[in-house]
Amino acid sequence: MTTTATPRAPEDSGAGPARSAIPGRTRPQRLHRSRLGASRRRKALLWALLLAGPNVVLLLVFVYRPLLQSLYLSTLQWNLGSPTARFVGLGNYIEWFSAPTTGRIVTTTIVFTVATVGGAMVLGLGLALLLNSRLRGRGVARTVAFAPYVLGGFAVGILWLFMFDPRYGLIQEVLGWVGLASPQWYTGRPWPLVMVIVVYLWKNLGYVALIYLAGLQAVPQDLRDAAALDGASSARTLRSVVLPLLTPTTFFLLVTMLLSSLQSFDIIKAMTQGGPLGSTTTLMYSIYEESFVNGRAGYASAVATILFLVLLAVTAVQMRFVQRKVHYA
Amino acid sequence: MSHSPARRAARRARTVVVTALAAATALTITACAGPSVGATAGSDDATAEAVDWSQVEPAKEITWWSNHPGESKVVEEKFIDEFKAETGISVNLVTAGADYDEVAQRFQAASQTDELPDLVIASDVWWFRYHLNDQIMPLDDVMEFLDADAADFQPALYSDYEYDDQHWAVPYARSTPLFYYNKDLWAGAGLPDRGPETWAELEEWDASLKKEVPEKGSTFGLSTGPSWGAWWFENMIWGQGGAYSDGFELTLDAPEAIAGGQFVHDLFHESGVATLSADDAMADFSSGLIASTIGSTGSLKGALDAAKFDVGTAYLPDGPQGGGTPTGGTGLAIPSSKTPEEQLAAAMFLEFLTNTENTAAFSQNTGYMPVRTSAVESDTMTKTYEQTPQFRTAVDQLADKARKQDDVRVFVPGADALLNEALEQIVIEGTDPKTAFESVTPRIETAYTENVEPYLGAQD
Repeated sequence: MTTTATPRAPEDSGAGPARSAIPGRTRPQRLHRSRLGASRRRKALLWALLLAGPNVVLLLVFVYRPLLQSLYLSTLQWNLGSPTARFVGLGNYIEWFSAPTTGRIVTTTIVFTVATVGGAMVLGLGLALLLNSRLRGRGVARTVAFAPYVLGGFAVGILWLFMFDPRYGLIQEVLGWVGLASPQWYTGRPWPLVMVIVVYLWKNLGYVALIYLAGLQAVPQDLRDAAALDGASSARTLRSVVLPLLTPTTFFLLVTMLLSSLQSFDIIKAMTQGGPLGSTTTLMYSIYEESFVNGRAGYASAVATILFLVLLAVTAVQMRFVQRKVHYA
Repeated sequence: MSHSPARRAARRARTVVVTALAAATALTITACAGPSVGATAGSDDATAEAVDWSQVEPAKEITWWSNHPGESKVVEEKFIDEFKAETGISVNLVTAGADYDEVAQRFQAASQTDELPDLVIASDVWWFRYHLNDQIMPLDDVMEFLDADAADFQPALYSDYEYDDQHWAVPYARSTPLFYYNKDLWAGAGLPDRGPETWAELEEWDASLKKEVPEKGSTFGLSTGPSWGAWWFENMIWGQGGAYSDGFELTLDAPEAIAGGQFVHDLFHESGVATLSADDAMADFSSGLIASTIGSTGSLKGALDAAKFDVGTAYLPDGPQGGGTPTGGTGLAIPSSKTPEEQLAAAMFLEFLTNTENTAAFSQNTGYMPVRTSAVESDTMTKTYEQTPQFRTAVDQLADKARKQDDVRVFVPGADALLNEALEQIVIEGTDPKTAFESVTPRIETAYTENVEPYLGAQD
């Protein structure tokens, strides 16, 4: 899985065909080969530059430039839109760590992320197992399950807002049939957070299920057959054969879902605007709120940097530890 | 060995790559457009040079960012067509957001680019921020050059945009909060066909109204939210003799302000007269669920169209210490970074939009107040008031009850949202008003020290 690099002599660190390191070889031959090699290398390098260049430029302009700019802005006290700003060093970071709202925002972010990622993984796997079985209308079911994923988050949020309406919405109607009163989805804590989690789950479930479905179909039939021959029940086959072989899929989904959940914005903006009373304000949403509502672009950049570091740490931890548990067929 | 041509060639190639990367990185870093650090804040470049407008040829095409307040897109497009026919100048109307805040956020985000419009919506809580950031130009000179008769604007509305003896916007879709009531339910409850004169009177009426409203309904409903809650709450805090601030000095800890908070607390949690609307109180009102509400003047046309009952409008009720109504809504401003040609064309369009005839037409189609005194008495408005007397309430209330908004709400960036947060604590969670106000006070003070005070200092 991992390759170990053999240490090279410092002067040999350039790319290209390996050169002899044995001293005393006939000079003309080496010179000739080196010349040839050098010209080839130059060509190869030019080609590499030519082919990778546009991508590198795009990365620099659209990824690294904003990243660096955000880092720089995080050291300023800057009212968004103002032509001037004041340098405050680490002031914005210190303020974030001591702000009374930080604890609430971090807790909300953790609850939202764990619930959406965990929920989507578990439910998505269940849905994938269901869609993988021989059911009538399976093709239609797959399409229906995946459809929400391709809808725009904002539109989804607005639609669900109608459904959650505690006075007229579909959900209060359904709850009414079984004699339950609708919770105050818009106003009574913790319901607004539950509401956005449900909608986020609904939107992303199809994606998780689809990826799991692909994983399930890649599980070799002969392994299942072997398990069946050994008398394993379907639950045992699932636990001991299928799930271990799905770990690469699970790992991939865990990484991508965590990143997208931590960065989710549209559904929250459409449904609750971070409220009421900040009860649905995640780290990501607070960046928007600080910069565009409160105009504190420097402070918002500091929060963005913190979020970036969190994402980096989460990914690094996953790569380092979780990936060890991954089995490849 | 290290001097071999091959090695030199490889090194040269490496040098080229490293130099290219270094150059790209340097370019990346230096391309970090942003504010200049340490420069004098609010240097007022916008006012530094007076333009001789008579020497300027207006641009042939301008862009206008609007959120079409009061569902006015069709009306705005009609104005644009008429303006083009009259002057030959084209106006690109851009839907720059669903509400004032969204337009403002887009305008802020675009401020470092050349994607700014020539004319932009500037609401009560945003125009001053634009001004502090030198993003908009003073309009007095150019309006005078265009003979726009600024003296004819309703004084209470035009003076809202005055700072440093100059006007930074002109009134466009201006409103006050109104008390809306369901005349049918009112009649069913045997009440006189008028709004309550005081909040105490509404509480007295509650018992008879409660019998009339449908299940899950209430006598009075309100919704909160940014650019909204802290606006109508001014009436209640003033009614108890309090205010958000005196100048830029926060007065939320004064007993009168806390009494204002206690009043709204009791309205929801003690007397139970009021309920919180899940999303939009106007929608609950139009559907007949709540018997009365506070809504903007700009919602009047929509309410009249949507409701299946007779809609009544009245002044906001008074508290024991009086009350009054804040003015609100939006004006229009011209960005300072545009060329004089574009600014002149934008000002011409501004003058056209707010002339007597058009301001009356806009009011007639939306319910927003006519922003010119002459328009109030125009034939169009006289006819409108005869047919739909509800339109008249806002204009009368403006004359009788208007009060300048508290500085902190409209001038301190983000303060409106924080005041709304305190209000939501009281209304939603039943938090004691003193605690709720205390929780936002330090953040409003920080916003002032960071984003207002330094700029004011530079301008003095």
